[in-house]
Amino acid sequence: MDLILASAIILLLGAVLGLALPGNTRRVWSSIVSQLIASVLILIPTIPILLGGPDIRHEFFWSFPVNRIGIHIDALGAFFLSFSLPMTLLGTIYALGYLSPYFDKKRHAGIHFAILNLVSLSFILIYTVENAMVFLLGWEIAALAAWLAVIWDYKNQKIRFAGFNYLVSTHLSLLFLIAGFMIMGSSAGSFDFQEFQKFLGAPSILRNVTILLLLTSFGLKSAYFPFHTWLPRAHSAAPAHVSALMSGVIHKAGIYGILRFTLLMGTPDRWMGWTILIFSTISALMGVLYTATQRDLKRLLGYSSTENVGIVGIGIGLGYLGLYWHNPVITALGFAGAILHVLNHALFKCLLFYAAGAIYRMTHTIDLEKLGGLLKKMPQTGVFFLFGGLAISALPPLNGFVSEFLIYQGLFHESVPELSARGFFIYGAAMLALVGAVSALSMTRSFGITFLGKPRDSSITCHAEAPLSMRFSMAVHLLGMLIIGFMPFIAIAWVTEPAKLFLVAGGMKADVLPALANLQNAVSPLTKIGALFMAALLAILSLRWLMLPRSNRRHVTWGCGYSVANPRMQYTGSSFSEQFVSVFRSLLRKVRRDQLPDGPFPGDGYLNTHYVDAVEIKMFKVLGEGERLIELWMSQLKDEPRFAFGLGLFFLITLALVVVGR
Amino acid sequence: MSAQLPTLLSSLTFLTFLMGPIFAIGLINRTKAIWAGRKGPNLDQFFFDLARLLKKTPVYSETTSWIFQIAPWVVLTTTVMAAAFAPIVPGFSLFSFPYDFVYFAYLMAMGRVFIILGALDTGSSFEGMGASREAGFSALIEPALFFAIGTLAILSGNTSLETLTQAGAPGSAAAGYAIASRFFIFFALFILLQFEAARIPVDDPNTHLELTMIHEVMILDHSGPELAAVQYGSALKFVVLAGIMAALINPIHGPIHGPIHGPVQDPENGLLSFAVSLLLIAAICVLIGLSESLMARFRLKTIPRYATLGVLAAVLGLAFALLGNGGPL
Repeated sequence: MDLILASAIILLLGAVLGLALPGNTRRVWSSIVSQLIASVLILIPTIPILLGGPDIRHEFFWSFPVNRIGIHIDALGAFFLSFSLPMTLLGTIYALGYLSPYFDKKRHAGIHFAILNLVSLSFILIYTVENAMVFLLGWEIAALAAWLAVIWDYKNQKIRFAGFNYLVSTHLSLLFLIAGFMIMGSSAGSFDFQEFQKFLGAPSILRNVTILLLLTSFGLKSAYFPFHTWLPRAHSAAPAHVSALMSGVIHKAGIYGILRFTLLMGTPDRWMGWTILIFSTISALMGVLYTATQRDLKRLLGYSSTENVGIVGIGIGLGYLGLYWHNPVITALGFAGAILHVLNHALFKCLLFYAAGAIYRMTHTIDLEKLGGLLKKMPQTGVFFLFGGLAISALPPLNGFVSEFLIYQGLFHESVPELSARGFFIYGAAMLALVGAVSALSMTRSFGITFLGKPRDSSITCHAEAPLSMRFSMAVHLLGMLIIGFMPFIAIAWVTEPAKLFLVAGGMKADVLPALANLQNAVSPLTKIGALFMAALLAILSLRWLMLPRSNRRHVTWGCGYSVANPRMQYTGSSFSEQFVSVFRSLLRKVRRDQLPDGPFPGDGYLNTHYVDAVEIKMFKVLGEGERLIELWMSQLKDEPRFAFGLGLFFLITLALVVVGR
Repeated sequence: MSAQLPTLLSSLTFLTFLMGPIFAIGLINRTKAIWAGRKGPNLDQFFFDLARLLKKTPVYSETTSWIFQIAPWVVLTTTVMAAAFAPIVPGFSLFSFPYDFVYFAYLMAMGRVFIILGALDTGSSFEGMGASREAGFSALIEPALFFAIGTLAILSGNTSLETLTQAGAPGSAAAGYAIASRFFIFFALFILLQFEAARIPVDDPNTHLELTMIHEVMILDHSGPELAAVQYGSALKFVVLAGIMAALINPIHGPIHGPIHGPVQDPENGLLSFAVSLLLIAAICVLIGLSESLMARFRLKTIPRYATLGVLAAVLGLAFALLGNGGPL
């Protein structure tokens, strides 16, 4: 406990030093060093918990509305702490290179780094406290810190708008959360999570309402479809490391929330499992379809977060149904798959955002229509992006496959008790396969268009590889991905204790050991196969190198007889996905502005197409036209004055009855 | 005899995957030639084509990077690995572990990703076109494979690719429903085969300069050993999928074998079952050859609909499997 407290204090100290010290370089380093110490201090107590050690419990007392603040780090909290702080540290190190052009200017960069420290601090609050009030405090710190970090470039109006959009969305999420907490608080008579447990443990209509409120709130936080509209804007506006941290780490708090209240609930109802499963499948599918359409690399990655939390949600839904059926194997597969995918997503999504940021830093654009051929200019960043893309498409033998493999096993498992559920699970698996395939399309598209071929816009220049600190962060993430991919038993050991909590909470204590052993068995072949795959690839490549003719003969790309091909004739991001996207035209919204050359003496023409967020457009439309609709309705009422009077009276009396009735 | 059967079957399966691609291509071409009234090339012509390519010195485009040079070999590796999980005799593959079909499907996807990257690396607008189509169409057909796998898992009660193709325990599914279900799954896999192996009516393997091609246009710039690797890889992919289909409809059930299913059972039928499967693969080759002779290539707009047909067939198979097991309907 002392270590946790010490790390919180050190983070605060680092933030204060970051603000107070003279000189931007010193400020930045105070943030990095304090985060490094804090991460180590956090890892020392959390790793034993993840290995099966006892939980950390402590309590503080505060005056009236809060009373007891319970500190309780169980395996779930320990799991989230164990990757959140180190990854924030890596993001801060990345920022050292990413923001370095600003360091010798007058601007006070320390503020931004102090905010990053506060983000780490909010993790310590959220993942350890057992008190709803303090939880909300941490939640709000995270939300505000993320907002302030997003608007780094606050002088740009677009970025302020994106930041404001995010601020509103995250507070909408807060409203639902407060509503849920109020119901639980008034029913339990306390804001202590342990008291919530009694309320959540017994099925009631009020519990159903509470769960819906919580799911909405956490769904907004983690950007599930259709609550994702703020996400692509915020992600494309923020500096790359902030996008990475928001997508990979900060918004995983929403997933943590869902999991935490699942633990308090114990055994959920059946409809909850199906609701989560269906919503998550839709989320994964819509998220990935949007990734196939985007031109802006960071927007694309933002939508891919919606896809990946969808995959996490499929695992959670599976776990819910496993709890409902009292089926330990499916419960373990579902929750372990979901939790592992949280970690995996953090690993490869941060890596991809960092690579996108490196591209932006060196070329000043992330428009897929303009880039090309960067692999020759930025060979290392290219390799990082390639691996990130392969992993996010869940291709073996990288880490994304491991967690999806667990989820697939749950979906195909022969112990699913109801035949209809088996049928629906196969639908889910087929949708997951479609998601994987489209994700592969978007990643070949984003890697292939940016790094391969030739630059599509000759005005874009890139002279050098990204700064060392940026490549360092990417390399660490890649290392993590390779470890999980090639040695999945380590990953399973990491998520075993958190998964065990759900089995115990669901009253399946007796079956814990076989279910967890099944987890290890489930991935154990992957180690061997992964090694075999690499061995086979190396063998084939070296045989080719040694036995078959090699050459350095170079010639222009075969243009099918056309001899003046130029780089602008290459396929672009839009044209690459057009064929596929046209099938889903009804779900996606394309905006096209053009003035095509016309007549015998055509003037200047242009064509501009892009895909906008259909949900957002619809939302704005309803908001914008809602007033007009009501006005229309009212104006019709005016023509019938007696009827309008009667209606008004009716509502007044009803309202009075409700008030008096209480 | 029975003790050596697994070894014998392993070597036979291995040989089939090694030599099968050459003769499968030969058989398809011969069928098409005979149908068109020509004599056609020898059955082993593909072997000599490959041998010639392997001796040639490759030329690489100035635009390309190292991705272009390793991509064909990654494609080959993934297909070889995928072949290791695939059964020819129902219930027998070289390699197996629970739920290996997911690995199998994603290995195929890995190969596809690299062939697309290789195509994009050339910076050619033609190859970009092929890459775009390959990525899109293969995504649309992907659910068919998983519906088929799920259906077979219900029908057979098994969880690895090699044993999926076995019939279930007697009485586990009403026989009529099971047969109907298998029929639809076979149909779905046939469409999947046409997509994955780039055959008419989805794609035309013989021309590559038309704007309507998919697979061939992606490998325009490959030459020498790299071209050989890609061509052999796609032919192997054809044999792997045809082998699974043969195992699916093979009436003679061979040994139930594999690391998770314990010792070999029912060893007598192993060789007979293998022979039947080989004949069935040959029959599938002839079927492909015939359909190529009788049909024209679909217009590109129609291809997504054809993929939907494949998915629907697999869903129908699932519906029948659920019905047969006393499902929800």
